[in-house]
Amino acid sequence: MKKFWTRILDELSGAWIVTLKDIKVYYLRPGMIMFGFLMPFFMFFSFSVRRDMAAGEGMSRLLALTMFFTAAAAGPFIIPTERRLGTYDRLLAAPMSLFTLLLGKITVGAFFAIAVSSIAATVGVLFLDASIAQPGLMMAGIFIGSFTFSAMGLIFGSIPTRNPGDVQMPSTLIRWVLLFISGVFVPLSEMSTVARGVSYLSPLTYAQDLMNHAVLGTGELALWLNLIVLFFSGFIFLLPSIALHKRGRVLGY
Amino acid sequence: MPNAIEVQNLTKIYPSSGSGRGLLAVDQINFIVKRGEIFGFLGPNGAGKSTTQRMLTTLLTPTEGQIMILGHDLVDESYPAKRQIGLVPEESNVYTELTAWDNLMFTGRLYRMSRIDRTLRAEELLKDFGLWEKKDVKAEEFSKGMKRRLSIAMAIIHKPALLFLDEPTPGLDVQSARTIQKLIRQLSLEGTTVFMTTHQIEEANQLCDRVAIINYGKIAAIDTPEKLKQTFQQVQSVEISFTSSSKGLEDKLNTLPEVSKVLKVGDKWRLYTDSPPDLLPNLVRFSEKENLGIVSLNTLAPSLEDVFLQITGQQIGSVSNEPGLHKKGMKRKKGNQS
Repeated sequence: MKKFWTRILDELSGAWIVTLKDIKVYYLRPGMIMFGFLMPFFMFFSFSVRRDMAAGEGMSRLLALTMFFTAAAAGPFIIPTERRLGTYDRLLAAPMSLFTLLLGKITVGAFFAIAVSSIAATVGVLFLDASIAQPGLMMAGIFIGSFTFSAMGLIFGSIPTRNPGDVQMPSTLIRWVLLFISGVFVPLSEMSTVARGVSYLSPLTYAQDLMNHAVLGTGELALWLNLIVLFFSGFIFLLPSIALHKRGRVLGY
Repeated sequence: MPNAIEVQNLTKIYPSSGSGRGLLAVDQINFIVKRGEIFGFLGPNGAGKSTTQRMLTTLLTPTEGQIMILGHDLVDESYPAKRQIGLVPEESNVYTELTAWDNLMFTGRLYRMSRIDRTLRAEELLKDFGLWEKKDVKAEEFSKGMKRRLSIAMAIIHKPALLFLDEPTPGLDVQSARTIQKLIRQLSLEGTTVFMTTHQIEEANQLCDRVAIINYGKIAAIDTPEKLKQTFQQVQSVEISFTSSSKGLEDKLNTLPEVSKVLKVGDKWRLYTDSPPDLLPNLVRFSEKENLGIVSLNTLAPSLEDVFLQITGQQIGSVSNEPGLHKKGMKRKKGNQS
């Protein structure tokens, strides 16, 4: 039993080592700043300009958007870049399981999203005079959502290719589609029945509703449902990533 | 004590993108690498060298076969095996955004070395590799040779029992190449097993205790360099340089009965023969008859390069072929990776 826990701790420390290295190497890279930091803000402002929107409502949307877009940007950028440079081989050959490596990569994207979302929340409170109904829930939601969407981004990063461009295109496209069906730009309450049904398939719907609960104090869906769906989506997203990585090892990537 | 590497029936077929049968890159190979050996894995481009090495380092999943690394099955016990191996890929995969010191610290952490151990070891390696003065410089400012040295330092910071080197010296200046060759010898003396893939035949000849030659995905020969050379006595040669050259000289040299192949090598002629003692007097008579003065005359034992070319069927194609070895496996598909 002691051996088991020693191994678990060893694996967790491996994931943390990968995370720290990636933070140092990638957080200030232009690709990460562009796709992970600037893009969600640009999208938010291009949508919200000239719209009559309360500060709290705007902040709730901005938080969901930054959490989603930033977290999902890391995997598609970092892993193909590392594959191209050959540094990913160093990690794959290191003494850690594939799950540990992926956990480290998920944490990189999640931390980036938590940092960017925290900036968005600070700006909202200090400069837009927005108030937060449940700050604790907001932080918990950002934390869970960031890990979940980072795991989602990892699916694209796991596609066997050495060219980041091959991955960025489909991942950006799918993220855009999800933005429009998930109640970020058009609230759930204003959607048609069919559109609402489709929106339930997107985990971003639950993240947006969770942020509505946290910032505005009200949401369309039950709070517990938002938390459960977001939490388990992260684990479900890991499965295709693992399968794609295994496929990559068969193909030679 | 288990062998460093044991490979049984190792096969790799890359799946095809369409409905085809895939690409056979490595075909049922078997070999053993003993502990402490420097083992060279030679082969032309696309022969299956890198594919084999990537399977041995868990980067590529074999289609079939078993790999034992230091007594651990790579499928069931990859974790203890991975802790004991170091890998230097063909392209130096250092983190260019990090300093030399940070690259080493990261790798030390990756192999769970204590802070004291990795600090002491990093200092030792940077000094040994002539990088100490540049320890706080980002690797993006390093030359190719410096990156290569750093890449090797990262691979051995945890003192692996088994080191994989993929093409360690191509593209490097002579000084850097010699530094790395010296290092490989030193690692071997310290007990590290070295598995190196290369197509630098002379380098393998100088460094390796044993070599395997892979061609079209199959092991064509495996032995010590000297024994391999003895096996191929028909590729002995006589090298002669004349004071002058005459038209049609190559054709005339080819008519000598003991000569199987004539090659022009710079200002010299290399005459392949299986019997240099018989050729020499004939060659002297030939030069007198043709009125050609002899500047130099040397007999050459077969080099490892000759053996390699003979086995892989390259260039010296007309030298009498060794049945069962030459062009063996031609019917098989060539791998898409070397």
